[in-house]
Amino acid sequence: MRNEEIEKSIVQSFRTEPNYHLPADFTRKVTFAVERQIQWKNDLLEYLYLSIIVAALISISIGLYYYIDKAMVMKFYSFISGNVIQVISVISILNFILFADKVLLPFLFNRWNRI
Amino acid sequence: MDEIELISQVLKGNMNAFTFLVNRYQKLVVHITGRLIQRQDELEDVSQEVFLKVYQNLGKYRNECKLSTWIATIAYNTSINYLRKFKKFDEVNPDDSVALKNLTDAKSDDYERTDLHLYIREQIERLPVQYRTVLTLYYLEEFSYQEIEQITGMPEGTVKNYLFRAKTLLKEKLKFVVDENSLKSVKEISNEK
Repeated sequence: MRNEEIEKSIVQSFRTEPNYHLPADFTRKVTFAVERQIQWKNDLLEYLYLSIIVAALISISIGLYYYIDKAMVMKFYSFISGNVIQVISVISILNFILFADKVLLPFLFNRWNRI
Repeated sequence: MDEIELISQVLKGNMNAFTFLVNRYQKLVVHITGRLIQRQDELEDVSQEVFLKVYQNLGKYRNECKLSTWIATIAYNTSINYLRKFKKFDEVNPDDSVALKNLTDAKSDDYERTDLHLYIREQIERLPVQYRTVLTLYYLEEFSYQEIEQITGMPEGTVKNYLFRAKTLLKEKLKFVVDENSLKSVKEISNEK
């Protein structure tokens, strides 16, 4: 009998909810985190698409120009090969501005808003 | 709203459906993560991580098990990873003699100050993590042995063994401390329920 009582009490304790709780606004926070993640993915995709489109447009323009004015393109090419570091720096800065505008700043604003 | 409808709504980007999902499975996640990590201050972050993983991987859910089983699996794995990160997870088979020592030494007059039910709950929190996991999944969430096997990856025999050993450990502990007074309180508690 004594054992049965103990066993009953143990099983009852097993079925009792542990004393752990989440804050009342937990659901809102999770939903917000998910929305932020979706937004971040969309921003990143938009940036990638935009970069690809810009790179494609530049390549097509250079290609077309090659048939129209070959000398001009060759001059342009020699200018680039003569100033590789400067050209790469300018492209990197422009790329960073685009990245900051489309991805980094929206991400940071979202994070600050949460805080 | 049934499971399939709920999942399809979430996958379509309906955030109200996701809020509904979080509300529905919040308790399940809290019970598992709470019992495993045992840290109230970290519980919110770990639970949030669980629901983020649920959202990210919902497209991979193939309806082979109940949604609750699938979410419990994510909650279990996330909690175990958390414990591993802080080296609090003992991968080997739990040692019952060590576990028994770990259970607090209570004197019979302790029951005069607190009830036996509360005492047992405190002892449950001191059991090895594997025991706490199977106890929570089996008794609290009422998962079957097969479902617990799916969630934890432990073979069914091990699950049964852990359930038996956890109960035996607690009984062993109580055998020495329950006197006539506490037996009265056990009866009182049983009558109350």
